Amino acid sequence: MAVKIITDSLSDITSSLAEELGVTVVPLTVLFGHEQYLDRVTITTDEFYSRLINGNIWPTTTQPTPKTFADVYDELLTETDEILVITVSSKLSGTYQSAVGAISMTEKKGRIEVINSEKVAMGLGLIVITTARKANEGASMDDLVKYVKNAINRSHFVVYFDTLTYLAKGGRIGKAKELMGSVLSIKQILTIKDGEMTPLTRKRSLTAGMDYLYQHVQSFQKIGELAVEHTTAQGEADKLADRVKSLAPDKHIYRSTVSPVLGVYGGPGAIAVTVLEAEK
Amino acid sequence: MKQVDLITGREFREMLSTATSWLEKSSSDIDALNVFPVPDGDTGTNMLLTMRSSVDEAYIHNSSSVSDAAKAVAQGALMGARGNSGVILSQIWKGMAESLAEKKAINGEDIALALQRAAEVAYKGITNPVEGTILTVVREAAQAGQKCVDGGATDTISVMEAIVESAGESVANTPTLLPVLKEAGVVDAGGQGLYTILEGALRYLRGEAELMQFRKPQMIASNLPQPVRIPQINKEDEVPFGYCTEFMLKGEGFNIEKIRDRLKKEGESLIVVGDTNITRIHIHTMDPGKVIRYATSLGTLHQVSIRNMDEQYQDFLEVQKSRAVEVDTATVAVVSGDGLAEVFTSLGTTAIVPGGQTMNPSIKDILQAVNAVASDKVIILPNNKNIILTAEQVKTLSNKSIEVIPTRTIPQGVAALLAFDYEADFSTNAELMKEATSMVKTIEITRAVRSAQLDGLSIKKKQAIGLLDGELLAAGNTTIDILNKMLAKMDMNQNEIVTIYYGADTKPEEASQVSESIREHYPQLQVEVVKGGQPYYDYIVSIE
Repeated sequence: MAVKIITDSLSDITSSLAEELGVTVVPLTVLFGHEQYLDRVTITTDEFYSRLINGNIWPTTTQPTPKTFADVYDELLTETDEILVITVSSKLSGTYQSAVGAISMTEKKGRIEVINSEKVAMGLGLIVITTARKANEGASMDDLVKYVKNAINRSHFVVYFDTLTYLAKGGRIGKAKELMGSVLSIKQILTIKDGEMTPLTRKRSLTAGMDYLYQHVQSFQKIGELAVEHTTAQGEADKLADRVKSLAPDKHIYRSTVSPVLGVYGGPGAIAVTVLEAEK
Repeated sequence: MKQVDLITGREFREMLSTATSWLEKSSSDIDALNVFPVPDGDTGTNMLLTMRSSVDEAYIHNSSSVSDAAKAVAQGALMGARGNSGVILSQIWKGMAESLAEKKAINGEDIALALQRAAEVAYKGITNPVEGTILTVVREAAQAGQKCVDGGATDTISVMEAIVESAGESVANTPTLLPVLKEAGVVDAGGQGLYTILEGALRYLRGEAELMQFRKPQMIASNLPQPVRIPQINKEDEVPFGYCTEFMLKGEGFNIEKIRDRLKKEGESLIVVGDTNITRIHIHTMDPGKVIRYATSLGTLHQVSIRNMDEQYQDFLEVQKSRAVEVDTATVAVVSGDGLAEVFTSLGTTAIVPGGQTMNPSIKDILQAVNAVASDKVIILPNNKNIILTAEQVKTLSNKSIEVIPTRTIPQGVAALLAFDYEADFSTNAELMKEATSMVKTIEITRAVRSAQLDGLSIKKKQAIGLLDGELLAAGNTTIDILNKMLAKMDMNQNEIVTIYYGADTKPEEASQVSESIREHYPQLQVEVVKGGQPYYDYIVSIE
């Protein structure tokens, strides 16, 4: 019996890809005031950003409850007796806690491992995708756990925020909280480090920002997997994807949209790239 | 002819004090020896402030040996050096002090030797020595002094006369060595300053000094109401300096008014209160000894308290430091103007040193900021070509690791600051920031301080002039014209963002007209208008 892989909706894995890989994506909850939506299930990312930009209600997100995870575990344990859960960084969301807490709540028996990826978006997504492939090929639980822990160090996520307005409104996102309020219009580049969103550098223009993202990809000798995603900047993301394609012509570039939990701070126009370095 | 064989420490000190007063008289004239018709001519003021710091230091170390006095002078010059000329002057004193070490008293030969060493050290201190400047003057004067000694003269006056005469000729000759001086029709300001100092020293030796020194305090008050205290006008936070001296004076028949009058020139924040038998005196002075000596001649002293205000300030900074957020790498930027200070602060500058064009901060100002930040690694952004050298000097005075990014303009400073990479190490960041300065172009619009023929342009006084990265490029009657003229010469397709920082004296409406005009001509550009609040420059424009 193959190991089943679970992740959360912050991995930015599209539903079609999840289905293809047999990955279960547990959604976070998005709240606009009293209105509740399940991320990527009952609200699309397009709808989310449209409401974020045009509406006047500041959205919040909440992690899945342990009960939600327990139900998913029980359902999967009818097909398998081994489950590997890879979650978003525990410093960005309580998802990891819920996933761990749910283990003692299951009715069915089985081995469940939960790993805190310390990543977000496709930084997490590419780890999940490659792990799922290995699981489908029949890799053992121990090998998969070892693989994920190694892959965490090979996953390099960088995001470009076109505006700091939403970061300022949201008020907190790890170490990036120091970046608020600038007299000049500034494009912020961030990464995720030790599980926290961390500022990398700043640019004055979209072009300079995209050059930085391109150079980020270029700085890796051996590219294993590549992802380009965005909040509302499909056109610019397409252009960047075309550019980075030349750096790894034989690689498929995973495309997606940035999940609301990060996107609520990035706002419109945010673009991210992730490089998963090849195994040494 | 009067002969002076030996100069003692006391005489050395007084000679320099006299020379400084002499320099003070002509400092505004030296300021006017301006190559560019942009308001950066403050060589005279910078040299004067450097000399003041030297003399103050020499009087604090009230030693009878020349060696100690020269050492104090060099130390004072280093701490008070402002502008390029001030820094070079401090190197001259450094060389003198090295040569005069171990000397209790000196003769003409010693002076000639010391000046030679001074020239050597001054040349060494500059990365690219340029002839036709203060460097040439000190070198040629030193050679003349040596020649005089070789001819058999040892008395100080003869040697100094040879030195001063040669220095004068050397200054007169600077325009032939430096084309830019020739074109502007002026002699080198730094060279002129050095000549004035040497000449003042000679006058002291000749005995004319007694009279001059006696007159010195009056001159400060009447002839030059402003220049001496310029640094305090520029400072947003006044730095305490000297000694807070307080005591009670007991005796008979005190004349409060007379005491107040006598002590007025000894310092600041003077308070004299009491009656004819008991008086309380409070003063911030550089020389508490002088105040105390005067007081003891009047009566007995009680409850004497002399506190070093620099130390107090340092303690204050220590306390602030422990409260400050610890950052791995700190940045210290030299900026003037509220708006620009806010720009730098909002971009994460750790400390701002007020200063810029015509307001060059001293080494000490920058050093204090560097020491105050809660990090052992500090990056300095001078943001002005005349402050780079000053900032470089801080490296040798602090135990912290320091990198100076040679930013010559405000936009270069902003570009460098933005390039800062939070994850990169110290030296990588310095490289990144240096690289970034070349990615931005700077247009500065100011007013000509005098008429001039320069770079093929005919410029009238008060006319608006435009500089591109420091090079004079256009002159005209309206700032909009000049800006458009200059932009037309650049390949704007290569650029994306134009940021306009308008000055303290510029109307916001005019600034928005300027930005509208640019948007009209270059619709593809992103144009931002920010109130910089900087003096002298109507506009500083960043193009990237």
